[in-house]
Amino acid sequence: MRRSAAVRAAIALVVLAPLVAVAVAVGLSLGAGTLSLGAALRGVEPDATVLFRLRIPRVVLAAIVGAGLSVAGVALQALLRNPLADPFVFGLSGGAAIGAALSVAITGTTLGVAGVSAAGWIGLLPTQFAAVLGSLAAAVLVFTLGRARGRLHPERALLVGVVFNSFASALVIALEAVLAPEKTQAVLLWLAGTLGYEPEPVLFAAGAVVLVAAGILTALAGRLNLLALGDEGAAALGVDVEWTRLLSFFAASAAVGAAVALTGLVGFVGLVVPHAVRLVAGPDHRVVLPASALGGAAFLVLADAIARVLFRGLGTEPPVGAVTALLGAPLFVLLLRRRI
Amino acid sequence: MVGLIGPNAAGKSTLARIACGLLRPGAGSVRLRGDDAFALPRRERARRVAFLSQDEPADLPFTAREVALMGRAPHLGLWALEAPGDRALAVAALAEADALDLADRPVAQLSGGERQRVFLARAFAQDAALLVLDEPTAALDLSHQVLLVTAVRKRAQRGRGALLVLHDLALAGAACDRLVLLRAGRLLAEGGTHEVLRPDVLGEAYGTQVDVVPDPATGQPLVAPRIPR
Repeated sequence: MRRSAAVRAAIALVVLAPLVAVAVAVGLSLGAGTLSLGAALRGVEPDATVLFRLRIPRVVLAAIVGAGLSVAGVALQALLRNPLADPFVFGLSGGAAIGAALSVAITGTTLGVAGVSAAGWIGLLPTQFAAVLGSLAAAVLVFTLGRARGRLHPERALLVGVVFNSFASALVIALEAVLAPEKTQAVLLWLAGTLGYEPEPVLFAAGAVVLVAAGILTALAGRLNLLALGDEGAAALGVDVEWTRLLSFFAASAAVGAAVALTGLVGFVGLVVPHAVRLVAGPDHRVVLPASALGGAAFLVLADAIARVLFRGLGTEPPVGAVTALLGAPLFVLLLRRRI
Repeated sequence: MVGLIGPNAAGKSTLARIACGLLRPGAGSVRLRGDDAFALPRRERARRVAFLSQDEPADLPFTAREVALMGRAPHLGLWALEAPGDRALAVAALAEADALDLADRPVAQLSGGERQRVFLARAFAQDAALLVLDEPTAALDLSHQVLLVTAVRKRAQRGRGALLVLHDLALAGAACDRLVLLRAGRLLAEGGTHEVLRPDVLGEAYGTQVDVVPDPATGQPLVAPRIPR
């Protein structure tokens, strides 16, 4: 790469911005019903309501979640020096699943009623609220157990996260066996990653969280590059390794927490978008982070549009998490093969 | 150019890390150009001393040019964006380390000897007054050893200090101006190459007999192990 990082980041953004625009246009024009964008913009009903109340919030939601998961994936891969790391690697998926399953289990009890009112107070559904609490608790647990002698050991944290996720899926299966099937199915479907319709304040809050997290991580991008040299190599170049790790871990977790709250566990985005971006743009995090934010937003908006269209005839739609995997896996293999 | 020599587990690598401010000593202090190394801000410390580790990563996806630019990190501001001057310095460092022809190749694709020169370029680009190298020649063949040590020596002649942890006493005698001999964490001898590379001193340090003869070309002491045959 002969050009400077600033120039390469600018090129990536100029290339990706139209892609996001196309994805948004597709996302706005595809859906369960047909919609005339011109009519909607002139205020003709029901097109205007469909556009402003349904499609725009949904596209915005997809963009926020896609961007958040992608930057978190980039950060965790750098932090753990492991290309297999995804946003949920620190036990966040397991925690979210336990939280959501428990929220169903306690429905109707005193604790359940208290939970519903607490969730409603911040504008979330009880399942969402429980999933966020669960994933936060898991992140704190994994981070605590991953520390030894006063510092975080990435390999150790990774192992604890993987073990915790297995433990959690076993626990959820056990809960499933105990609970009524109709109770659990909705939760499990939501956990598979589903884009719904969120109230505006919730969207704004999540958007702000993802934006701040992406900003912090981009500011740390140069240091994330140096972490590839190893803890000691980075420290010899003036990096405060422990502080960098702590800050990027919490920024990534906040972005993932916001995504989990809104959509459950949308897999694949945080793993595949960063790698696809790296294949094209190289390994420099100063380029990869902002480019992944845009790429992730475009990817999830498109995946959601496809999810809505694919099963239109059946009057239903698959969870977007299934579509991201169906779409992402072949796309990624294609990229990988073209590169070599 | 100072060589740090001694038997295995003498504490050479530990001392090298302490000198860089990467490890805190149990007692005593480290001063870098007059200031306490552990009181300096990390980045300021990294502008004063550069470190080349024994186990630099082999599988870096970055190109040699990007790795050399990493050496500029302690000099960069927020967002870590380098100026044209930083890029020019990185290129100069690559040339100085005899790695300019590798500039646009990913480090993961280089041979061990090439990779070590790229990491040396990174340390050069750091532009520090002192360069600490922990067994920089351990994995290199003879020609790569000579290339690396020559590059460091040229830089030392221009006033940049270098501290090298070395196992190869022949190389230490040929390359260094001064030697520090450690054994079991203690200083055993220190001084010019002729003062330290003596059969009696080395015999005590390593517990084995060696011969020392003057190099016919340079007069530097040449250490030969005595192996019964």
